[in-house]
Amino acid sequence: MAGATDTALVSEDTSETEAVAAGAVGLAAVLFALSLASVFELVTITDPVAGVPMVALLGGLLVVLGFAVVTFGVGSRLGYVATDPRPTAGLLASGTFGLIWFVVGGLVASQTLGLGTAGWVVASLVTGGAAFAVSALPREDIGSTLPAGALAVFAGVVFLTGVIGPSWLWDLGWEQQASFNAEFTIPVLTAFCSLLVGWAAAKAYGGFGARGRHIGAYVLVYLNAISIIALLFLLVAFTVLKGLPGLFKGLAFGAGAGPEVTLVGVTFSLPVSWPFVMNGVALLNDVNGVLPAIVGTIWLVVGAVLFAVPLGIGAAVFITEYADRGRFTQVVEIATNGLWSTPSIVFGLFGLAFLVPRLGNQKSLLAGMLTLGFMLLPLVVITSRESMLAVPDEYRDASAALGVTKWQTVRSIVLPAALPGIVTGIILGVGRIAGETAPILLTMSGSVAPPGSQTVDVLGGFQLQYAPPFVTNPELMQATSALPYQLYSLITAGVGQSSNISAIDEFRWATALILLVVVLGFYAIGIATRYYFRSKLQHD
Amino acid sequence: MSETRQTTDDAQATADSELAGGASPGTDQPLEVTSGETRERTREEWVEHEFEGEAKLSVSDLDVYYGDDHALKSVSMEIPENSVTALIGPSGCGKSTFLRCLNRMNDRIKAASIDGSVRLEGEELYQDGVNLVELRKRVGMVFQSPNPFPKSIADNISYGPRKHGDLDTGLLANLLGRSDDDAVDELVERSLQQAALWDEVNDRLDDNALGLSGGQQQRLCIARALATDPEVLLMDEPASALDPIATSKIEDLVHDLAEEYTVVIVTHNMQQAARISDQTAVFLTGGELVEYGDTDQVFEDPQSQRVEDYISGKFG
Ligand SMILES: Nc1ncnc2c1ncn2[C@@H]1O[C@H](COP(=O)(O)OP(=O)(O)OP(=O)(O)O)[C@@H](O)[C@H]1O
Ligand SMILES: [Mg+2]
Repeated sequence: MAGATDTALVSEDTSETEAVAAGAVGLAAVLFALSLASVFELVTITDPVAGVPMVALLGGLLVVLGFAVVTFGVGSRLGYVATDPRPTAGLLASGTFGLIWFVVGGLVASQTLGLGTAGWVVASLVTGGAAFAVSALPREDIGSTLPAGALAVFAGVVFLTGVIGPSWLWDLGWEQQASFNAEFTIPVLTAFCSLLVGWAAAKAYGGFGARGRHIGAYVLVYLNAISIIALLFLLVAFTVLKGLPGLFKGLAFGAGAGPEVTLVGVTFSLPVSWPFVMNGVALLNDVNGVLPAIVGTIWLVVGAVLFAVPLGIGAAVFITEYADRGRFTQVVEIATNGLWSTPSIVFGLFGLAFLVPRLGNQKSLLAGMLTLGFMLLPLVVITSRESMLAVPDEYRDASAALGVTKWQTVRSIVLPAALPGIVTGIILGVGRIAGETAPILLTMSGSVAPPGSQTVDVLGGFQLQYAPPFVTNPELMQATSALPYQLYSLITAGVGQSSNISAIDEFRWATALILLVVVLGFYAIGIATRYYFRSKLQHD
Repeated sequence: MSETRQTTDDAQATADSELAGGASPGTDQPLEVTSGETRERTREEWVEHEFEGEAKLSVSDLDVYYGDDHALKSVSMEIPENSVTALIGPSGCGKSTFLRCLNRMNDRIKAASIDGSVRLEGEELYQDGVNLVELRKRVGMVFQSPNPFPKSIADNISYGPRKHGDLDTGLLANLLGRSDDDAVDELVERSLQQAALWDEVNDRLDDNALGLSGGQQQRLCIARALATDPEVLLMDEPASALDPIATSKIEDLVHDLAEEYTVVIVTHNMQQAARISDQTAVFLTGGELVEYGDTDQVFEDPQSQRVEDYISGKFG
């Protein structure tokens, strides 16, 4: 390969140049973290860090980093640093750099210099084309460092000179007055540039060539994964922080502190009083709570699962084990996939128009359970079918050769082997239906802020009688509340201000947090079940 | 496919027949040679095997196709009761296919179509109304590749009898005090002893069977098949992954089984076939049964030149 030196099988001790490159990668990672932190306003860009305003620090670091990688690339080209570059940086990298510089050139020409359409198009083409050429034509060490480093230096200079300073605002000029402000733009640009420079520095650290590309890709993927996890974490942390004050308001411990409960005929007082999860909403409550909605949500999910899981697994057993694979199973498969992607409001409408009139002609818990059950059904069918298909045919053959009937084989061999997969499907499905608002709104919504006395008592509601239908449960036939629905009405409809809830914002966030906890609780149960079934299938 | 082991004599013979393109000296059959394998016409009398007593299984004119692939060509064979029958032949000649026809496991392969007749104690297996579950209880099978269930070792063994309803260890039986737990333990121990596995696993009967080594899994599958107490046992290379000690235990087992059971065993090991079987069937490439008869006769004085070549290691 032209220009390639032989790669040693065992690399020698870390050289100084490698250490510099590694330092650049680390600095880029720090810069990336800093910019993420300021996107989420953990630090403001005007905050002084070590006596320098944040924006100056970001800009300065970008300039330093940019120069570092460019120096490394040029040094490698001139032969001062021993590397192993390919003849070109490759089409993907060149195309990306070309596109980035095309945008940069256009923005500078139109926004900063104020040129017209013809002007910015020409400027864009010039910068984009130049970047493409610089990246595609020279050897890889120049091609992958120069455009990235130059971009970082450029962005850094723009921040340092205050062209984009803390008070900068880019009005897009649309009617809605959409605009980008500096608090958002500066960190995002910095994050982007630091990713690019980090990638270039990582390539330099690997000495370019195959190893350099490997390390470059590794750094990109790693930073990306970390930022996604950070994002998730932030989302949850945000809800938790906002929700905690409302959630624990009025929490008290001590003998007899809590409300009275009756269990198996014995009445006693709970040793905890946790108003938010033990109360409803009432005029005389010190602290209002969401007990009816919590219980409603839990029963909804339990009902939907009890309804959908046996039906879904049964259907999957039929189409996987009994029906001949052909047109029919294909149609069923397409239909179930389609049903799973059907918007929930459509299911809700079906429940309202079909189930509600047939189940006592009023919105009821039962109607909600069945509607959510219908939503869950396709996913249970799909995942059960997938995991049964994944059970090796050898098991079925072995069982058949022992003179065991098909049904016994399915029950004793296929289903146990498929259960972990089936449970995974149920977990995913429950996660979706537990937070579903639209179907509940249409099929079972009761009062928005129900008092504690309206908590459904499904188990206690069963009544025996001597005439058909023998068992009735008025609790199932009543409307009740559920967390997502309550949250929805508290936020959009503004209900609640009029009722007795005082700190309405706190109340909303605490409701959201409780919903999160309930859903995660179902997840935990599901994962524990799956773990149990899986451990029975595996050795150790 | 076929390979010539070059002893001087063989090489000479091969060269001769290639040159001659037809008759080879020393035999009275018309011979043709293609790449080391003698071509000859199979004769009906080569597959006739005289024995005393009833035939347990009798196969006649059995043809098997996988799609357009003609895997077994008009095979006829009578298998005597309480004996060991070895099936040998080069890879891909249809031994497993033949074995699967004897308990209709080929029905489970979509592409397979079967034509001909197999009778178990005079009863036709390939007719409407045959109860496959009952058939497979009577004709058990050990597969070529070990396939234990992802269950504990003990559960693997007791699976068949429990599902047949011979043993009941369910919750209800436990509550009613009718549980056959002791019988299950006994069955597990006896079957594992027979398959020469007991000593290795008796302290971990509740461990998952997938944690066993390949050879242990193979013996577990033998034990599992024995536990259902079939009349006929079909074994497809049951010792392919075993060391000499375990192999000889399995051979002893097969020998013992022949007193009460009818065993049909596929093997690639000629010495093994010669040691343990009463009669031997040789299948050759193309799915033909070329020679079938008393094991001593087949190994010492084969009637077919191709079988002689195969047994002496000239090809296959
Ligand atoms: N399930 C199947 N589908 C299609 N063709 C098959 C199938 N099973 C076997 N065959 C074909 O039938 C022929 C005989 O196969 P078979 O498995 O009976 O050979 P074998 O004698 O058992 O070989 P080996 O000693 O390698 O196990 C082969 O040509 C094979 O390709
Ligand atoms: Mg085989």
